Amino acid sequence: MAEREKEIERSAEEIVESFVEAARELPELKETYYSQEAYNIVRPDGKPTPAEERAKFRKRFISNMPTSDEQGNLKVEVARWAEER
Amino acid sequence: MGRGTLEKLDAIRRGELSAVENVQQALERIKKQDKRIKAFIELNPHTLAEAEAIDRKLKRDERVGKLAGLAIGVKSNLNVTGLRATCASRTLEDYVSTYDAEVVKRVRAEGGIVVGMNNMDEFACGSSGETSAFGPTDNPAAPGHIPGGSSSGGGASIAAGLCDLCLGTDTGGSIRNPASHCGVVGVKPTYGLVPRQGLIDLGMSLDQIGPLAPDVQGAALLLETIAGKTPNECVMLDVSRMNYMSRLQGDGVKGMRIGVSPKFAELTDPAVMGVIDGTVEKLRDLGAEIVEVELPNLERGLPTYYLIVSVEFFSATRKYDGRKYGKRIEDVCGEEVLRRILRGRYISRKEYRGKYYQRALQVRTLIRQELMRAFERVDVIVGPTVPKLPHKLGTALTPMEMYAYDYLTVPANLAGICGGVIKAGEVGGIPVGVQIQGKVLGELDVLKVMRALEAAT
Repeated sequence: MAEREKEIERSAEEIVESFVEAARELPELKETYYSQEAYNIVRPDGKPTPAEERAKFRKRFISNMPTSDEQGNLKVEVARWAEER
Repeated sequence: MGRGTLEKLDAIRRGELSAVENVQQALERIKKQDKRIKAFIELNPHTLAEAEAIDRKLKRDERVGKLAGLAIGVKSNLNVTGLRATCASRTLEDYVSTYDAEVVKRVRAEGGIVVGMNNMDEFACGSSGETSAFGPTDNPAAPGHIPGGSSSGGGASIAAGLCDLCLGTDTGGSIRNPASHCGVVGVKPTYGLVPRQGLIDLGMSLDQIGPLAPDVQGAALLLETIAGKTPNECVMLDVSRMNYMSRLQGDGVKGMRIGVSPKFAELTDPAVMGVIDGTVEKLRDLGAEIVEVELPNLERGLPTYYLIVSVEFFSATRKYDGRKYGKRIEDVCGEEVLRRILRGRYISRKEYRGKYYQRALQVRTLIRQELMRAFERVDVIVGPTVPKLPHKLGTALTPMEMYAYDYLTVPANLAGICGGVIKAGEVGGIPVGVQIQGKVLGELDVLKVMRALEAAT
């Protein structure tokens, strides 16, 4: 894995180098984060989903969990870094 | 090619072809051909029941919607309730969608029937259709060659007639590239026209959902179905629902100003460029005015795009830690996905952010300004879609050789403008698509040019 990562990292840097070359001598400009600046941050309150649909959604959601307890709560492994401390 | 999209819709409405018959035919074609093509990852088990519901409505003369009875393929990075949104990756191979993406809701509301989830490049990271964890997709229009990517399954499905229309996504050419290689119609909408809610993102400032279709009217119909604002989308243009179909006819391209750039020939295989030059002459014959435009920094778009998309993709993939769902992405992903994650991580480091990422956003401004200046003089810009012909499946290419497929498509994503692709001709039996780039919200002009070319064929 480490060797594979190193090799891929080397090829990943290729594009960074080609960008540095491409951007050389270009003027400093304002940065464009989104091509259209139209944000809709605050969503209006919609109608609540019917209880039956919410229950179905929960069932579907839980089915994607790798592990859950008897009450249907998500169980996760303690992070490796925490165990090592 | 069978009947056109509108003819088929008409046949369904008049009862000459039932919705059930239509999806049954699609499923039979998939069963017969898809072991070889690999355009679908999963089929919808409720397809026939949904088609029966449409037929019942038709019998009762109830409203059925503008896509009633059509078989729709959906790229596997869009959520469809009960079907897996795998992104063609082992990371999400068991992930079952809990809701419908906004575009899927709209398609279903208009009577479209989702037949299945289309194959794609893993997490949309690819331009060839070869990086899927479920196997590479073949090109039905040029068997043994790549279909293009990342909406490889969508392009191949339409080319083989496996379904009627497909929903693809385009971050740097992922609809237009397969449309070109497979000889079908594809449209990348203006950024912010189509809601991305329910899309598993590759680069959130660049992604757009759009149609792949066998004809321009099919693409226009699907586009007007999915376009328009929703309060559930945070970055969206303030546009209400669009109507392209009733405005597609008219004078064609007569009097339209069509831009061409000498830069295209510098970056493109002469055989491909020959086909495009022929298309430009055809447009001149149809009454368009051809105007030369300057795009001096066009090729700088490619490294700029790959820098920005790597950072955004790295950020987007941090949720795939294998805890709440799926598997940890770095443990199971393919080479290209890992390459982009590592590149994104490298560029995101504090000491490099200003040097690379913010600089890339400045070059994005430059490319956008350049295209906007060109659009002050013309209505659309016409040129090649992909600078070279598709390679044979399995050919070993370096990452830079692979990225070179995207030279001519990434500028539209960086600038947020729209672009459409339609088959212009062939080189040695392989389709070549012409790309028509339009202004912000210039989809109607793009569709009109494509329709004029289609009608003139």
